Amino acid sequence: MSLLDLLLLLSLLTTLYLYAFGNHRNAGHLGMVVYAVATGLVIAMAGPLADGTGAVGSTFAPVMLGHVLSWSMDGLGWFFALLTTGAAFFASWYMSGEWNAEQPNKRIQHGTLALNVFCMLLLLSSGDLLSLFIGWEFVSWAAFLMMTQLGSHAARAAFRYMLYALAGAMAVFAAILIVKAQIGSFAFADLRAAVPALSDGLKWLLFGLFGLGFGVKMAIVPFHLWQAPAYSFTPGASSAFLNAVSARMGLFAILLVLGKLIGFATLSDLALPLIPMDAKTLLMWVAAITMVVPTFIALMQTDARMLLTWHGIGQGGYMLLGVLVATPLGTAAGLMHVLNYASYQMALVLAVFAVIHRTGTADLDELGGLIKRMPFTYLALLMGIIGLAGLPPMNGFVSKWMIYKSLLDTQQPLLLIAAFVGTLGTILSVYKLIHNIFLGQLRAEHQKVGEAPGSMLAPMLILAGIGFATGFFPGLALGVVDVAQAALGVELLPHGLGGVYLATGSLNMIWVVGIMIGAIGFGAFVFYVIGNRRYGVHQFDNYAGGHFLSADIRYHFSHEFYPGLARLIGPWYRGSVVNMENGLMIGLKTAGDLWHGAFRIAYTPFYLLVALAIGLWWAGLDGGF
Amino acid sequence: MTDAMLLAEALGDVLYTGAIGLILLGLYAMVVPRHLVRIVLGLLLVQSGVNLFLVAVGYRPEAAAPILLGGQAIGPVVDPLPQALVLTAIVIGVGVLALALALVVRVKDVHGTLDSREVAERMAAETGDSRLMPETAPGRGAAVPAREMLEDRS
Amino acid sequence: MIGTAHQIVLPVVLPLLAAFLLPLVGRLHVWPARLLGQIVGVLHLAVVAYLWTLVGGGETIVSALGGFAPPLGIVLYADRLSVLFLLVLSVGILLFWPRREHGGTRADTLTLLLLGGGSGLVLSGDLFNIFVFYEIVAVASYGLAASGGNAAGFGAALRYLLLSALGSALALLGIALVYGAAGTLNLADLSVLAPERLSGPMGLAAFLLLVLGFGVKAELFPVNTWVPEVYTAAPTRVTAILAGVVSKLSMVVILRLLVLIFADPGAQTLLLVLGLAGVIAGELAAFRAPDLNRTFAFSSIAQLGLVAVAFSIPDDLGIAAGIAVAVHHAVVKPGLFVIAGHWTGPIERLGGAARVSRPAAIAFVLLSLSIIGIPPFPGFWVKLLLLGEAFAAVDPVYALAGAVILAATVVEAAYLFRAAALMWEPPEGDNRPPAAFPLARLAPTLVLTLLILLAMGAVSPLGEALEAMAAEVGDAAIYVGNVLPGRI
Repeated sequence: MSLLDLLLLLSLLTTLYLYAFGNHRNAGHLGMVVYAVATGLVIAMAGPLADGTGAVGSTFAPVMLGHVLSWSMDGLGWFFALLTTGAAFFASWYMSGEWNAEQPNKRIQHGTLALNVFCMLLLLSSGDLLSLFIGWEFVSWAAFLMMTQLGSHAARAAFRYMLYALAGAMAVFAAILIVKAQIGSFAFADLRAAVPALSDGLKWLLFGLFGLGFGVKMAIVPFHLWQAPAYSFTPGASSAFLNAVSARMGLFAILLVLGKLIGFATLSDLALPLIPMDAKTLLMWVAAITMVVPTFIALMQTDARMLLTWHGIGQGGYMLLGVLVATPLGTAAGLMHVLNYASYQMALVLAVFAVIHRTGTADLDELGGLIKRMPFTYLALLMGIIGLAGLPPMNGFVSKWMIYKSLLDTQQPLLLIAAFVGTLGTILSVYKLIHNIFLGQLRAEHQKVGEAPGSMLAPMLILAGIGFATGFFPGLALGVVDVAQAALGVELLPHGLGGVYLATGSLNMIWVVGIMIGAIGFGAFVFYVIGNRRYGVHQFDNYAGGHFLSADIRYHFSHEFYPGLARLIGPWYRGSVVNMENGLMIGLKTAGDLWHGAFRIAYTPFYLLVALAIGLWWAGLDGGF
Repeated sequence: MTDAMLLAEALGDVLYTGAIGLILLGLYAMVVPRHLVRIVLGLLLVQSGVNLFLVAVGYRPEAAAPILLGGQAIGPVVDPLPQALVLTAIVIGVGVLALALALVVRVKDVHGTLDSREVAERMAAETGDSRLMPETAPGRGAAVPAREMLEDRS
Repeated sequence: MIGTAHQIVLPVVLPLLAAFLLPLVGRLHVWPARLLGQIVGVLHLAVVAYLWTLVGGGETIVSALGGFAPPLGIVLYADRLSVLFLLVLSVGILLFWPRREHGGTRADTLTLLLLGGGSGLVLSGDLFNIFVFYEIVAVASYGLAASGGNAAGFGAALRYLLLSALGSALALLGIALVYGAAGTLNLADLSVLAPERLSGPMGLAAFLLLVLGFGVKAELFPVNTWVPEVYTAAPTRVTAILAGVVSKLSMVVILRLLVLIFADPGAQTLLLVLGLAGVIAGELAAFRAPDLNRTFAFSSIAQLGLVAVAFSIPDDLGIAAGIAVAVHHAVVKPGLFVIAGHWTGPIERLGGAARVSRPAAIAFVLLSLSIIGIPPFPGFWVKLLLLGEAFAAVDPVYALAGAVILAATVVEAAYLFRAAALMWEPPEGDNRPPAAFPLARLAPTLVLTLLILLAMGAVSPLGEALEAMAAEVGDAAIYVGNVLPGRI
């Protein structure tokens, strides 16, 4: 029994146990223990994988219809597995205490989390295309179960997700079957070996189908509409888990199939007919659009969860763009961004759900001034948004810097500008998030609100702490990234504890953060010690234009944040993608109505006659009458 | 070739033409009229046409009826198999026709009309509504969540 | 090895005999008649199981009726394919034996007729004999369709009868064409003569007529317009039998015709086009169906379309895929029809169903997942087999068909899960949740769901058995060699 067997068995048994007994008070703690053990198992697997060629196999290899299904985890899967079990650990921690006590559907929450972890591990360790597809379907349906648990809005969003995911899965299925028909095998190695001999048309087809299928899961534009509502209406820690990990499965599959098996180099040889662009550049531009458009849509959201999940879509674009640059720096940047994003996005989502837990709302127009009531939640959220915006000293800065740098090094100024524009949108919108929740006027109805309980604070603060630590010492994360990068066959990036060493300019975060802390310390010294005397005022003790303002006067500017910008980008928001989706659905309904009507009204033998006439005519034609 | 043979061949052609004609006539009667009994009669015509066709397949000019006495063939005989088949087909046809007419009677009883389109409309009305859900009164609660499911654009 | 045992007459003769006895017994008392019917059903199953032990290893049984040797005499031919579908028929009918009606035994008689006629349909090795058995099945199913006693039932049965009888007449015309061209009706004999005498437009026209005729029961496009009406108006059990079993028997006949007599690209293209049109029409219409009964009726059309597409692939594995789709559908769809038969009315009213009857809702979800083709359910492996063949076929038109089927799968998932998701929602507005499911009514569904779950563990052996079966069925020479040992 290999370590992988042990890991899969452990998570399968956990799933079964939690589905049966998840209502127990200690289910969350049990989950924590299991996911900690699972993380340990994953870490224990690192040894043979580090050189990039090793893999931990599974002894479970059923033969189905003559195809041997195999599971084995290489460095790439390992990287994402570590992410998965780690995220599950924090999610379970969050669910273990007060949150757990108040949820009506504990069993489902714990069970679906465990199920998702199991399915993801299965996908991440798939050893051939067929097991990859099976894992892919498992992950899709497990996520559907997790999303649909609250019913009503959540069920609708999950249903929409399911349609997208299934359409994507069918594209993947078609691609896999085409591969099988062409090369006669589902094995990864055979596909890799056969790619150079495939015709350009076939490569385009495979690129399109795989890209579409995996891209849907990653929510790349224009297949992104499902993601924000589906993730937002999922409760608490489940939502954080989905945000951190779920869409990354799409990135994993793109890296595995397009990056490792077909090869990004092959894609850049596929030229488009009329415009000077190849398949890889096309995908990079899709990633760039994914970076920019959802970020500005996020700006328009008034629900804190939706704001974050829309950002999640945009951040996926950064990761995809990074790995598509395909230089050592770009790949490392994209992969590191996966880890970084998971840490701060989870912290952010958990913080927002802590606010919902205390105040009962995520509506950014209904909140404000909670900084004194929930200071630690504020701290977690602050650190999170700094990471999300990609500013020092958090880890988001490191990976984004590396992405910018890799684009610069490969001389792609337009994409670089797109990345900057995306970051600009992020900075604008995360300010909206923290301002509307924590700053400004406290609402009268939130006067009694207390700090989130420890079981919820601890995971988000630790996650934010991880974000800071890997920002201060990026080497910690880059060591993990190396394993995946080696498995992808990309040259390793030289790095140390403080950052990366490059011929064209290195980054040492210890210096950056050191100087920053020094400067802030100096500023604080000036402000607090040398400066004028300060007066502490109560939150309600406010003045505007010389007038005293009481709590019942609304002056907290939260409604219609960024009105000018909103007018500018409003048309995007009512964008054509939504119309496209609507149009597709209307077309489908119309076609359905037509057929349905045809079955209902017509007098039956008529069709028979028509078919007979056409058939006889065709038979005569075919037979050469 | 004798006149008799020519006549016989012409007879074969007449048989085929007649069979096809009967089938086409029957098809017309099944598709165009709306009166159920006419439609059933159309079916009868089609069946008769097909039977005639089948008999014609076994027909040979100048051949005798396939009645063999004492195991001795007395010159060419027409193919006996199609005739046997047609006998069976006729029997089946009669049975089906009887059943069809019985059903027409029942339809007239329960729907009160012999107009096929009216029957179809009544059936749609009957099966389209809740047939076996006595708890829910029809027409109450205009909520349509299933459709909304696909129209939600949050 | 070829057996010539005459036991294969039993599955045909036993039910037919009982069907004629039943009304007589029923005159004395109802319950002995019903008991007799069901005993014969069980006996039929026992005989079929015994037959399986005879042919399971790849042997075949050929029985010349009355001692007249083929090609002149009529033969019954049992190989694994025919016995498999006998088994499906037998189990299906036992599972969905009609309910007791008011004092009568008519439904029991008709069911026995269906059992006997259906057995003859798959066993018969003579084209005209197939026609006769097809008519027996048809007449029995008209009666059963009307046996609900509701007004819509009579109307639906009449329209079904008119279409089906017209189809039968056309099939008979096709038989006449075949006989006119080849001078024989024995399938094996025809198989030998076909390349010479039935190629070209005449053969294709005959195939068209036969497919349209037999296609009425097989729910083939476009002669399936009776399907939604009858499946909605007929009693649930009858619907389950018609959709689950009878449609497959006709498909088996079409398969035999295609393999033995019309194995040319024209006929395959014809079947492919009809099948694909059925898939598209069925899934799209089901997407807009107002209630579960109609949803499943249209979905049934689409599934039978899949079978036709699979059979049209000129390869043994295509046949294997077709048989797999057919058997899978025969297991899944009756179970779903039981649910639809209880939870009638608009789909919008399904809210709260899961709370009222959780087992039914869960069975619905599991069966739906299987029919959509989600791993690890058997439906996935069936679709893998089918689509793998479609994409691997030489003719690129099959790859296109595969793409259409994949797209249709998304539509299928949309309408099935719209209903499934609703079951877990609370009832909308003032509506009450649907009526609770008595466990006795749900029992067949639970049995079938269990069967599906069990099959999940036996995919590989089932697949191998299927492939062996398909290799045997797909080779016309084996059939001819068994029936007419001297001819090849």
